[in-house]
Amino acid sequence: MSGPATDRWMELRPYLDRALDLSPAEQSAYIESLRAENPALASELQTLLSSQRAAIEAGFLEDSPASLLGAFVTPGQTLGPYTLITPIGQGGMGTVWLAERTDGRFRRKAAIKFLNAGLLARDAEQRFRREGNLLARLTHPHIAQLMDAGVREGGHPYLVLEHVDGEPINRYCDRKALSVDARLTLFLDVLAAVAHAHANFIVHRDLKPSNVLVTNDGIVKLLDFGVAKLLEDSGTPDGEAMLTRDGAWAMTPEYAAPEQVTGEPVSAATDVYALGVLLYALLSGRHPAGETIRSPAHMVSLIVGREAPEMSAVVTTDDDTESAAAIAGRRSTTPERLKRRLRGDLATIVRKAMRQRPSDRYASVDALAEDLRRSLRHEPITARPVTFGYRAARFVRRHRTAVALAAVAGLAVVAGVIGTLSQARVARSQRDFAVRQLARVEAVNDLNQFLLSNAAPAGRAFTVSELLERAERIVARQHGDEDIRADMLVALGRQYELQEENERALRLLEDAYTRSRSLTDQTTRARTACALAVALAGSSDLPRAQRLIDEGLAELPRGLQYAPDRVSCLLGGSDVARHAGAAVRAVEYVEEARRELQNAPYRSAIQELRVLMELAESYRVADRRTEAIPVFEQAAALLSELGRDETAVAGTLFNNWALTLNVIGRPLDAEPIYRKAIELSRTDDSDEGVSPMLLINYGRALRDLTRLDEAARYAEHGYAKARTAGHEVIINQSLLLRASIYREQDKLIQAAAMLDEVEPRLNEGLPPGHIAFASLASERAQLASASGDLSGALEMVRRAIGLAEAAIRSGREGARFMPVFLVLRSEIERELGELDAAVTDADSAVRLMQDAMPPGMRSSTTGLAYLALGRALLAQGSLDRSRLALRSAVEHLEDAAGVDHPGARSARGALETGAGPP
Amino acid sequence: MEQGDVPSAPADVSQLIAASEAGDAAAREALFAGLYAELRRLAKRELARSGAQVTLSATALLHEAYLDIAGRQGTSFPDRARFMAYAARVMRGLIIDHARMRRAQKRGGQFEITALATEAGELVADDRELSRLSDALEELAQVDPTLTELVDLKFFCGFTFGEIAAMRGVAERTVQRGWEKARIYLYSNIKSEGKLPFPDEGPRT
Repeated sequence: MSGPATDRWMELRPYLDRALDLSPAEQSAYIESLRAENPALASELQTLLSSQRAAIEAGFLEDSPASLLGAFVTPGQTLGPYTLITPIGQGGMGTVWLAERTDGRFRRKAAIKFLNAGLLARDAEQRFRREGNLLARLTHPHIAQLMDAGVREGGHPYLVLEHVDGEPINRYCDRKALSVDARLTLFLDVLAAVAHAHANFIVHRDLKPSNVLVTNDGIVKLLDFGVAKLLEDSGTPDGEAMLTRDGAWAMTPEYAAPEQVTGEPVSAATDVYALGVLLYALLSGRHPAGETIRSPAHMVSLIVGREAPEMSAVVTTDDDTESAAAIAGRRSTTPERLKRRLRGDLATIVRKAMRQRPSDRYASVDALAEDLRRSLRHEPITARPVTFGYRAARFVRRHRTAVALAAVAGLAVVAGVIGTLSQARVARSQRDFAVRQLARVEAVNDLNQFLLSNAAPAGRAFTVSELLERAERIVARQHGDEDIRADMLVALGRQYELQEENERALRLLEDAYTRSRSLTDQTTRARTACALAVALAGSSDLPRAQRLIDEGLAELPRGLQYAPDRVSCLLGGSDVARHAGAAVRAVEYVEEARRELQNAPYRSAIQELRVLMELAESYRVADRRTEAIPVFEQAAALLSELGRDETAVAGTLFNNWALTLNVIGRPLDAEPIYRKAIELSRTDDSDEGVSPMLLINYGRALRDLTRLDEAARYAEHGYAKARTAGHEVIINQSLLLRASIYREQDKLIQAAAMLDEVEPRLNEGLPPGHIAFASLASERAQLASASGDLSGALEMVRRAIGLAEAAIRSGREGARFMPVFLVLRSEIERELGELDAAVTDADSAVRLMQDAMPPGMRSSTTGLAYLALGRALLAQGSLDRSRLALRSAVEHLEDAAGVDHPGARSARGALETGAGPP
Repeated sequence: MEQGDVPSAPADVSQLIAASEAGDAAAREALFAGLYAELRRLAKRELARSGAQVTLSATALLHEAYLDIAGRQGTSFPDRARFMAYAARVMRGLIIDHARMRRAQKRGGQFEITALATEAGELVADDRELSRLSDALEELAQVDPTLTELVDLKFFCGFTFGEIAAMRGVAERTVQRGWEKARIYLYSNIKSEGKLPFPDEGPRT
């Protein structure tokens, strides 16, 4: 270009230079002054300056050149934690790469989709991430999971997706020569996935064979759910929708519904249309618009205002019989038979799905699926307008089933063992046993007999509550000895506690306590006081609980005949102390109970068991875990000796034992013990009857063993159950656990969503400075680190450490988290190149663990501390010291978490490559 | 075009630069072809060397190319600034060629649906935009070549204002002002669909 344009530019240039050095206000003044002598030049200059502002607002040429294009996406390049391996496809929306997660401990494959969209401005970037976040919550076995929606430097959006190794559904069906029925069956999986998304208010908008893959195992996987909308909504700064700029279409014309072509609102019915086209093509081998499309305009005319030809007619057009035979052959049939099959019901169904007007189509994907299923079963199809009444009836039908199922589940819980896991409950039920064993009050014994014998009647299934109510009425009608009545009330109250009917339990125990005040039998007065204390401890009136314990103990002088009751009250005292967070006092109570027991006139194995279990538990709570473990072992042996190792009590014991093992870093030992606890509390083949706390504890051990998929399953199940039960503590713990599992699974958005969910809950439910906030900060740190935000990670881990230090200073729980936080900070510091700090932190973590663990006991936490130390030293170039640390890491991790633990492998790898041969 | 491991090193780069600056079109072609091959070879080598961990930056690539060629050609080599200007122009070509190649690989353009297979007719947006930028840059090269050079260095190769100022021996502010002018020209050009940044038919003085 030369001539006038060049001259014009050269003439304007000095004025532009001048103006560019001025502030906006000065620019206006300058232009105004120019306008007086040369109005044309002034207005041209003004145009140029306003286009400068537009260019700045649009971020024109602002991004870094390497991110301008997928052209410079090259194998081996990294994107956050992912390393790109090879391009695996090009789609309308962008280039897809196979990637592998490489940082840290795990290697797993993912698909990264670089979107061919314009650059996103900052607000659009946030919108993109937010909507990606919503999409990531969409989980279904037939939907490829969206794991992350990110924006590269310079505003290029990308998506991280579950990697699906499969082929388009039409190709799969043809290759396998699937019959029409087999195709329909496969298609029902597609419908299930779409219906699930619709139920979550997500419309696909771009359903087509290349988005409906089938893996080699025949598993359907839908890709790109909601992505079309995600892109459209993340408009560019000047308000254009990204994919509609240049008039480019967001959807694929062959599968676009009329309303998409004409720009009318898109709804679930849009997907129904695309599914109709997909089904048409799958069944008939032809596209409904025929094969003669020449131009976009032609295409539009074929889509809009025109119903597709009958599938059966398409198969056997006279001039193309050869190809019809081929199509039939790929469906393992003959043209004649195929033609017959594609008439009638199937034709009606497809036609209804592909109606021009959205309201004429199937009202839902479910309705379409229902008709296809009927057609497969050769039942009459509905294919009539789906009325509200029809849908309501269907809803009620579904609802009725759900009600019936819930009832069955309820009975199962009642008929089976009680899956409670709090130590208080164990103590209580043990007291009940003790009461019966010692047979001090026959009436109580009879009552318990009655309850036990009627708990699982052959005919009608009573709930335990029903039985207790009957028992309560029996007790109320009984006249006579008030001592016996008080003891019976205590027994009943404890049974209600076991049923977690705390209000009823408290009512009965208060009644028993009040009645016993006028009694002369000290043991009865002590028993009612201590029983009420334990029940109150659970309902958080701790000061009164403590007073009642003191009162009960004061009733019981030292002496052989009082020893059993003293043991019970001391154990109650321990329970109350633990609830009050006074771990040291709890240990004192239970140790006194042990001494008392040794003085007892007879050996009560049941009381011995109670003491061992309470001792182990109070050691555990008092951070004396390594002392707790042998006591757990003794208790388990005694249980087995008593023939009670298949009871709920055993389940609780195993849970607490395994929990202790896992906390000191021995997940390999913890896992089988948890397994046993779960098996004990099962009421059937499923985990339905298992306590949510046990489920998430087990999930945590599985996570520590990096069996992440199983871990996620247990954590999610535990969460769902805790939600149903409204159990706040377990809900919060399972959210934090799920966050960590998802993070390790690279599902960063889901992980963040968990943390966002738990944070306000913690704020509301816990006092400031509670150690849970440190856990939250640590989780946030790891998430930031996983997303490549190291400085953010460092800030969060510092917060975690600060909170833990404060907790330790004020005598609260926190010490056991310290080594874990220090290891985390060391890893982050190392990545930031702050090697001295990294070495110091890892070293401190190792020392803390050495102090906490008895010599010779190996722990995965110690192993991870050594690993961090070894890595930091390696980075520092201290090869000899690094080798030593790495060897210790291998020893600890292999022993505590298994030879295949990623940490162990990573330490061995570092020894082989970085730090030289061991 | 594809270079093997043993590259045909560009002929004497300094001579080619001198000749092309004197208006020798063939020398200019040879210079660009040689640099193009050199950059591709280096990119390949860098990727192989850095393994899976490093992102390849265009800037690093150009520095590498300069050192390589300067090393081979000794003291007769022209100054860095001139070399970088040419190399940056080549880098732009490399990036845009890559984009066009990707586009060519795609089946048809936006609506050029030839046969209705069940697969998607695929859409391309990015590289078209890049092509328009490329056209606008060619126009700008005619009008104000220093500005085009600046865009090559800054946008396509990722040099900072400071680096470019040092390279050219001018104040950073001058470079920044130049950059703003280039952006104004290009943005107006692209927004007005390839027309001039200011109306041809507009009033003239």
